[in-house]
Amino acid sequence: MESLQIDLHMHSTVSDGTDTPQMILEKVKQAGIGLFSLTDHDAIKGSGEILSIRTAEDPFFIPGVEFSCKDEEGKYHILGLAYDPQAPSIQEVVDLGHEYRMRKVRGRMAQVTQEFGYVFPEDEVVKLLQNDNPGKPHIGNLMVKLGYAQSKEQAIREIINKVHFKGEYVRPEEAIRGILGAGGVPVLAHPSYGSGDQLIFGEEMDARLKRLIGFGLQGVEAFYSGFTPRIRKEMLNFAEQYDLYITAGSDYHGRNKLIKLGDTGLAGIPCEEYPRGLKRFLERVLP
Amino acid sequence: MAEAKIALTGRIDSNNAPRVEQDMLGQLAGLGQVPVVLDAQELQYISSAGLRVILRLKKNYPDLTITNVNSEVYEILEMTGFTEMMTVEKAYRVVDVAGCEEIGRGANGTIYRIDQDNVVKVYNNADALEDIQHEREVARLALILGIPTAISYDVVRVGESYGSVFELLNASSFSKILAQEPEKMDWCVKEYVDLLKKIHSTVVPAGKLPDLKETVLDWARFMLDYLPEEAGKKLVAMVEAIPHDDHMIHGDYHTKNVMFQNDEVLLIDMDTLAIGHPIFELASMFNAMIGYSEMNPEQIIAFQGFDAETGRTFWRKSLAEYLNTKNELKIQEVENKARIIGYTRMIRRSIRRKGMETEQGRAEIEHWTGELLELLARVDTLMFSRNELEVEAIEENLEQVQAFVDEQLEAADCSPKSQMQIGLAVEEIFVNIARYAYAPEKGRATVRVEVSDAPVVVTITFMDHGQPYDPLAKEDPDVTLSASERAIGGLGIFIAKKTMDNVLYEYKDGQNILKLKKNL
Repeated sequence: MESLQIDLHMHSTVSDGTDTPQMILEKVKQAGIGLFSLTDHDAIKGSGEILSIRTAEDPFFIPGVEFSCKDEEGKYHILGLAYDPQAPSIQEVVDLGHEYRMRKVRGRMAQVTQEFGYVFPEDEVVKLLQNDNPGKPHIGNLMVKLGYAQSKEQAIREIINKVHFKGEYVRPEEAIRGILGAGGVPVLAHPSYGSGDQLIFGEEMDARLKRLIGFGLQGVEAFYSGFTPRIRKEMLNFAEQYDLYITAGSDYHGRNKLIKLGDTGLAGIPCEEYPRGLKRFLERVLP
Repeated sequence: MAEAKIALTGRIDSNNAPRVEQDMLGQLAGLGQVPVVLDAQELQYISSAGLRVILRLKKNYPDLTITNVNSEVYEILEMTGFTEMMTVEKAYRVVDVAGCEEIGRGANGTIYRIDQDNVVKVYNNADALEDIQHEREVARLALILGIPTAISYDVVRVGESYGSVFELLNASSFSKILAQEPEKMDWCVKEYVDLLKKIHSTVVPAGKLPDLKETVLDWARFMLDYLPEEAGKKLVAMVEAIPHDDHMIHGDYHTKNVMFQNDEVLLIDMDTLAIGHPIFELASMFNAMIGYSEMNPEQIIAFQGFDAETGRTFWRKSLAEYLNTKNELKIQEVENKARIIGYTRMIRRSIRRKGMETEQGRAEIEHWTGELLELLARVDTLMFSRNELEVEAIEENLEQVQAFVDEQLEAADCSPKSQMQIGLAVEEIFVNIARYAYAPEKGRATVRVEVSDAPVVVTITFMDHGQPYDPLAKEDPDVTLSASERAIGGLGIFIAKKTMDNVLYEYKDGQNILKLKKNL
């Protein structure tokens, strides 16, 4: 195996990144990354776009997605990697998530109207719902446009976050089933950070992994831009213990976050010293 | 290169992390890759989104320090491995000890009670964070090895220095008990020595604690410049001859460092914990109870709260209990060895603290040096063992030698008849050594009593450095002759051979070694 830069976790304008899929491809090339995936939140459209524009000279690409899941035990971000984009089962999860999201955005706006009295004109609501992935930032922008708030941040902080709306979410087993059904690999994203802002270690992490493995989880993102060496070590140990695939991702969001493409913590480790779980993953997805 | 200081405030979580990040980058814009100090004094909480902001900052500004971190945030940084990746300095609670009761004092600090449940040890050294860390580690090690001790749970600022805080509920030091309830003397001795024996029987894994022999060797070598050449060399050689010992010693085992709390005796002031031969411990115990106040009886009252007489009694009783003997000669023997190291330490300490420049200091140094020289003239080894008695080989010491052997035999449940026979043999052999081994000079002899289990065999070994002499080589005396016709000295060994089951002699390493064995 020759030297290979890998980044299997990044976002485009299809979700909350600032680069279009086209720009992502260009930047991946410039960064010298040899294998990448585009993992927009709950959307596979960007991956489809890359597949259609990518040429044989471009870096290896595997289709990706990052599903936001929730059940009684907590929240999870589950990456689906190397699935067949034509398979109906992956689209079904995307549709389910989209359906929940539409209901959630509508519900949240109704709640803002009810509790704060801010009214959203229906034509604006329809326009907002046409976004691929509408959420709090979109509602915030609309509130600024309507003169209800000074800034998107202020709207989110002082109004939108103040209303409580109990949404419906894709369950982890539904996401995992959909990914597996499309021949993909379900991988737990940034495991120690939960759905993004938690800290989960030790026994708690162990219990979480056992449940998800029970649903069919096959890998963990042990190399992640936001991990310290200690956190990474724990995840590598878990991967070894449960015989899981290991992936590496930066969570690049373009200008939205100060994360550099390709920053996964893997740089500097020669290919032959990659942990077993990562080698196995590469053998599975590389042509 | 000037450093950039950025204040972190309130909470940093997923709601404001992007804004905090933009703020920080705004403050750093145009400064280049400067060292960055994040002041966390006003930071109450940080979530993983906040941690990621710091991690990204670290990637762009490798020289990153976080200061004034509160305990909660520190715990998060420690758990996630941030403390291993960058310098993280904790914020310290400030504690005032003015007017607090002083309950202990050790080589490196003073212990005050700050409230009913807590005490703080204030370190003498202003830059004591490393010392505190060291003491925490050794205390934890001691606890793991089964030694009861208090472990500090917090580090605080005390004036210009640092302190570590311990929970100590209703505890009294043994000094306080001895001062206020003198009738508890014997109870104190028993508990104090029980814990001491426990410490000395604890084996410490290699490399975990310093070897006190190295330190004592330094003290001895220091004395080479202050003692006559012969005496100095002998002192160093005797310390060198002490074998390596991997058992624990406390290093500052005096009555202020032993506490009684909730029916439990526990140790404090663990920073001197080491490994080594117990004689090193006994030396520091002698100093605390007698040595330091030998010329200045007020000193012990000021330090321990009880008088010199109490200190002397406690030391003597503790040593007897420790050696498990009432034998004065045995106690004297070990005390003399302890005094050699004790005086060495005190003389060096006083000289280094400019003791020569005061009248009292000079008087003390002169007195201690005199005692040390006198001891060096008659003591040949610093080692001791509970079942050995080393004495001057003179007939006046016979009674004590017999008492020592009897004490050991009683402990072994020896029958009165065997005890009497052994006593008789011991008398004959010891008197022989006293009369002839060094004649016309004087010298020393060692008696060792060993009792084996199944089969129960008592072995009494006599050792002396006198003229090589094999008493067994002589023919048995003709007991049919009258007393005046018999050769002097032959009878003792004859009695010994008759009543013992085996008598063996060898001359080894310049020593006559005679063994008497008796099956019980």
